[in-house]
Amino acid sequence: MSAVRIANGKVVDPANAETGVVRDVVIRDGRVVDAAASEGVSETIDAKGGVVMAGAIDIHSHIAGGKSNLARLLMVEEQRAIREPEGPFCGCGGGLGTMTAHAIGCRYVEMGYTAVFEPAVVAANARHMHAEMKDIPFLDTGGYLVLGNDDFLLDLIASGAGQSAVNDYVAWMLAATKTFAIKIVNPGGINAFKFNARKLDLDEKNPHYELTPRKILTTLIDAVTQLGLSHPIHLHGCNLGVPGNEDTTLATIAAAEGRPLHLTHVQFHSYGTEGDRRFSSGAAKIAEAVNKNPNITVDVGQVMFGQTVTASADFMSQYRNRGIASPKRWIGMDMEMDAACGVVPFAYKDKSFVNALQWAIGLELFLLIEDPWRVFLTTDHPNGAPFTTYPHLIRLLMDKAFRDEQFAKLPKAVRKHSIVGELAREYTLEEMAIVTRAAPAKILGFKDRGHLGAGAVGDAVIYAEASDYEAMFATPAYVLKNGEVIVKDGEIVGLAYGQTHQVAPDYDKGIETKLDRWFDEAVGYKASTFKLSDSEIRDGQGAVAHATMRAS
Amino acid sequence: MTDAAPAATTSRNVVCPFCGLGCDDVALEVEGAKVTPVGGSCGKGAALFARSGAPAPDPRVNGREASLDEAIAAAAELLAEARSPVHAGLATDVDGVRAVLKLAARIGGSVDHHASEGLVRNLASSQRKGWIATTFAEVRNRCDVLVVVGPDPEKAFHRFYARVAPKTGRFFEGPRRVIFLGGAPAEGSLAQLEGSTVETVAVPEGGLVDALSRLAVLAAGGAPLKGEPDLAPLADTLKAAKYAVLAWSASSLDDDADLVIERAVAVVDALNVEGRAACLPLSGKDNLTGAYHATLWNVGFPLRVGFRGGVADHDQRAYATETAVKTADVVVWTQAFRPDAPPESEARLIALAHPDTEFEREPDVFIPVGQPGLDHAGLAFRADSVVGLPLGKHRDAGLPSVADVLARILERLP
Repeated sequence: MSAVRIANGKVVDPANAETGVVRDVVIRDGRVVDAAASEGVSETIDAKGGVVMAGAIDIHSHIAGGKSNLARLLMVEEQRAIREPEGPFCGCGGGLGTMTAHAIGCRYVEMGYTAVFEPAVVAANARHMHAEMKDIPFLDTGGYLVLGNDDFLLDLIASGAGQSAVNDYVAWMLAATKTFAIKIVNPGGINAFKFNARKLDLDEKNPHYELTPRKILTTLIDAVTQLGLSHPIHLHGCNLGVPGNEDTTLATIAAAEGRPLHLTHVQFHSYGTEGDRRFSSGAAKIAEAVNKNPNITVDVGQVMFGQTVTASADFMSQYRNRGIASPKRWIGMDMEMDAACGVVPFAYKDKSFVNALQWAIGLELFLLIEDPWRVFLTTDHPNGAPFTTYPHLIRLLMDKAFRDEQFAKLPKAVRKHSIVGELAREYTLEEMAIVTRAAPAKILGFKDRGHLGAGAVGDAVIYAEASDYEAMFATPAYVLKNGEVIVKDGEIVGLAYGQTHQVAPDYDKGIETKLDRWFDEAVGYKASTFKLSDSEIRDGQGAVAHATMRAS
Repeated sequence: MTDAAPAATTSRNVVCPFCGLGCDDVALEVEGAKVTPVGGSCGKGAALFARSGAPAPDPRVNGREASLDEAIAAAAELLAEARSPVHAGLATDVDGVRAVLKLAARIGGSVDHHASEGLVRNLASSQRKGWIATTFAEVRNRCDVLVVVGPDPEKAFHRFYARVAPKTGRFFEGPRRVIFLGGAPAEGSLAQLEGSTVETVAVPEGGLVDALSRLAVLAAGGAPLKGEPDLAPLADTLKAAKYAVLAWSASSLDDDADLVIERAVAVVDALNVEGRAACLPLSGKDNLTGAYHATLWNVGFPLRVGFRGGVADHDQRAYATETAVKTADVVVWTQAFRPDAPPESEARLIALAHPDTEFEREPDVFIPVGQPGLDHAGLAFRADSVVGLPLGKHRDAGLPSVADVLARILERLP
């Protein structure tokens, strides 16, 4: 038994209603225990003057899989420019928006993040995704399975097989791919693009299955509810990036009819068509709808200026965006009757009206959505910006003077079209702990993460308090993973590997006969080959299966 | 049969790792170390799966039989002194590739796969300009017009048409049209294509780049350029297709492969403006695709890479095995899939190789290793890049994996 005491820090732990309480945090055998416990304490860390928080959780960051590799392939200049040598704890490789697996783990944990979720696991690519996640150190991970464009599902819905057949299929797929939640990307739209449709609105029919995105979305919302998954549908909606898509987003919120729904990278879905450039901020309208609908959660997908690469399963949208590729190269791919992907390098420029307004729209959303428990801090890494920009984003949210300074640098036309300068809100430390820890844990259904109460995982971060929040959040004094010191004064001092979270709800075995035939006839290999076994997740070590409560 | 004789068992639905098509309907009869393919596999796969049952050779150091420990110690000693190592072959599962990359990061040297020539030709387009690609299941169900560019891929991918292009598909009516542009179907292909409509568009020798250039112009709606053959009918067919696919096996193309691929990509680009089309670039023998992927996510570059002082670089010429062996002092040859001889070289040789490998020159250290998908479980990738293939363990012949051997060598390095 070994325990570590973090002594005299200001504990900011909103899940347990602690805001700056000076107390000790004791972690024994990888778990937080009562602060008064002294048994086995072999190390005491003096956290006086420091702020202590749970390990941060990123609910949406593209960290692995085929599209990440395509991004690396296309961004060879970035890989050459940012190289990291092999070291005692690093075989880092390099990159920024296209970081290698080891570098992803290092850069995240250096900022105090200890759990990151990959939001786009295409089923056919799940084996690749898991193999790659195994090589990411320090982080607990999990994947969201992309459904809603897969031909088997669309055929099930279109042929009127019924909700329970859909539920069985969804449960089978989650178990087969060892994933944690359901993601929908452009419901039915990626599939429609394979049939040469170039756009698909919420109530427009897929040319082959004659299904609307609304029908696909509501069917999968029902499946998630009835299977008892903790995380709601994680939705990348229709019309990503299209001016005027605020209406689609509002209609999508209404379509949920009060049931839980998570809208991801909502910044890319909050555009109006006002002004002489026919591109305007829809943030106020979207924020108002989020404020009024307590069933809705969002992550922002903040844009930051600089070179990055956009990688998405939404090939329909990425095909539309191919002309703005910078550098001028891009890759698209249709995949396995399942989904697709499009990878388009892109540089967001502060002198560009559209890019600068995207930046402002993201901040408006953060500042206008009132309940911090329903908005999460993301850049949709690497699509809006690399996740390494989080400390800068945190300062923008916590420091109005700094924000106004940055806003003042933008072109006048942009400043005229945004209310960022008028917004006085500054996120408090407590609110920052909510949007980066407590709220993500809650929406993912983790009872033992995102807080520092007894029983929580021993992931803790000590920040030296500073008025420059960017510096404060960029280099914590200490990061502990399962009670082990991993980062000290910004330097990695130990190596650890996390676990992979997954769910496996029950299903009626009758679905297996149908899937066996589907794989044999349509996909062209066996369902038994497609299914991942437990031994394939981190060599059989480190998979965590979460119980689900299936409604009868 | 005596009591001591092992009972024969049959493994079914075995995944074949060799060419990259990923057939998973192979049946193997296993009796001790003896393996007899009894169904599913093509002739090439069967020949590679078949094992006589004779005990595997012992490791050797300087030609003398040695224990595994001794061989590992001898390899570590050679590598500790290596100034210019070359990591060649790379024919192993993803765990084996990870281990080679770790070793190279530690001691330096170039890393390349023995079958990377086709991959490099594809990269000349995908890495510099990008493309629109597709996968086997999409081709099976959606592709009403399949154009095979250049030589028939059947030579490298034996059951290509049976696996990827059956005669009908879910999303189109009638038989599939398969058009050979500048190549001809092999006899084995015609048997697989029974029921499909097979056509050939002959191209003068060396004229494939020109033909594809002209086809791209037509596909983009441009005025036809002069040349033989007339490609207007093919362009019309492609434009009218629901989902046209241009497929090629880069390793089978001639010296002008880079340009052939670039122009085929341009044809597909042009077709997508109004309709749908995609490329199916094939390259994948001996888990080449898995080696490419694992190198990208661990190192940040595709193959070929080189390490110096723990920092990696990417250069397809400098780090090609062919170039690198000229200045090598130690070659580490990993080939777990087939008994292929290592590249010719003056350098010291450490061979982690198939037990049946016949060497022209006795290696300094020879460690026979198991085959992923027969002797141990592992991960390989299919030739269309997206699908990972779970390889199983089907016998125990006492052969270690590449990953195990390299992990033990790494432990011994100073």
